[in-house]
Amino acid sequence: MTDADLQSAGHGRDAAAASKLRVRGLDFFYGATQTLRNIDMDVPERQVTAIIGPSGCGKSTLLRVFNRIYAIYPKQEARGEVLMDGENILDARYPLNRLRSKVGMVFQKPVPFPMSIYENIAYGIRHHERLAKAKMDARVEQALRQAVLWDEVKDKLKQSALSLSGGQQQRLCIARAVALKPDVLLLDEPTSALDPIATGRIEQLVEELKCDFTIVIVTHNMQQAARVSDQTAFMYMGELIEFGDTEKIFTKPDRKQTEDYITGRFG
Amino acid sequence: MNAGSVSRYRHRRLANAMALLLGTLATLFGLFWLVWILWVTVSRGLAAISPALFTQLTPPPPGNGGGLANAFIGSLEVNVIALLAGTPVGIGAGMWLAEYAQRNALGTIIRFLNDILLSAPSIVLGLFVYALVVRPLGHFSALAGGLALALIVLPVVVRTTDEMLRLVPSTMREAALSLGVPQWKVILQILLRSARAGVVTGILLALARISGETAPLLFTSLNNQYWNHDPLKPIATVPVVIFQFAMSPFSGWHALAWAGALVVTLLVFVLGLLSRLLLARSKVIHD
Repeated sequence: MTDADLQSAGHGRDAAAASKLRVRGLDFFYGATQTLRNIDMDVPERQVTAIIGPSGCGKSTLLRVFNRIYAIYPKQEARGEVLMDGENILDARYPLNRLRSKVGMVFQKPVPFPMSIYENIAYGIRHHERLAKAKMDARVEQALRQAVLWDEVKDKLKQSALSLSGGQQQRLCIARAVALKPDVLLLDEPTSALDPIATGRIEQLVEELKCDFTIVIVTHNMQQAARVSDQTAFMYMGELIEFGDTEKIFTKPDRKQTEDYITGRFG
Repeated sequence: MNAGSVSRYRHRRLANAMALLLGTLATLFGLFWLVWILWVTVSRGLAAISPALFTQLTPPPPGNGGGLANAFIGSLEVNVIALLAGTPVGIGAGMWLAEYAQRNALGTIIRFLNDILLSAPSIVLGLFVYALVVRPLGHFSALAGGLALALIVLPVVVRTTDEMLRLVPSTMREAALSLGVPQWKVILQILLRSARAGVVTGILLALARISGETAPLLFTSLNNQYWNHDPLKPIATVPVVIFQFAMSPFSGWHALAWAGALVVTLLVFVLGLLSRLLLARSKVIHD
């Protein structure tokens, strides 16, 4: 860890927490439309940062900048800086596939690949590392344990992943992402397609995963943000309105807009 | 309800009954010919089917006895050549259209040209291969027949691969790419796999289409009364044999033509059924 990583300002529950991602002057364009305006934000390491805000405020867009997944669409463009461990990941020279192996992502709808449960996890690993069978088995098991799915699937690893329930599929997707041992985990409304019980399990899982990963979660469920996150960012119309301790954002926010949104007066 | 609305209501009911009647009549009219054709094919074909059909060579005139064994195997060979040549190129082009040229002008143009090739008269494709392969080689060949049919397979496979890949949700692409796997691997290993049922269906439909094609084979593979396993020599195929035998004055040949027609019809029927089944099963998995 370099000095540059250490956060001096110290707006965080743990004042010593280093920031994993430093966003500086980030603008985002979809064709001619600007959807993010001059975002500055420090995402603390090994904490859960929630991004909330009304539909279309740019919260998913911001998340999609962190692994440059937006880049697969030719009309989308990000300008500014996002520093991860001191390097600007928006720099065209930053290798895209290395970035994506360090910054994992889980989407709103679970998307298991059309292959076995085992292969779903092994697929990504195999691309980045050459492992002997026994080591691969161990990595797959470890990932499934981290996603608290192992006990449910250990006897049917060869079965199609499409046979799992929605909640299990989503945990499989989380396992698939953590199997690559990323530093950062991006969760884009990971529970919005799940029932309350499955949602509870994912939230519990997020709590456990933050020991190992820096987690950024986009959610339109404010209770969820309050339950799982350490830091909360409130966005509105492409701007970062307020960012700070979750407890403070939800109890005494500095900005009027934040308070109105939290209390349900708009959004 | 006042008198005006009652009469409007009656009018609508009458119009509805008329539309229903005309629609039903049109359906029956279409079905009538279809059933007739099938009936004649099945009854005359069944009468001529015997074990010899699959074991004996096409008989010389005046055509008594014999079978279509060499034509069946010849058709198989020509169709295999067509699939081997047309399918990989078709899948590759479909992949390119769906994944790399989804929204650009070149993709749109090529998609349009492919649709033209899709509806090109098959005799034109036969003449094209005649000029390109048969003339330089100096003689007709199974290879030329296979290539002519490959030109029919190609646009069907391009179209279905393109469409089936575009049906794969973009979240699947994003999920796979977000693992840091390069795009070409994602396409081959994830997207093509999830569109597999649809792509295979396209290949089966293409096979069904070429199974009955006659015109492109007339100037390419020609015909052969004997066994031939050399792809550079003329070869017998079922449709061409049917054509030749049906035009002849010999009743023995006519019977064999009916039997061949029945077998081809059944093959197309089975291929259609198989592709339906495949698609239905893949839908269950997607939901």
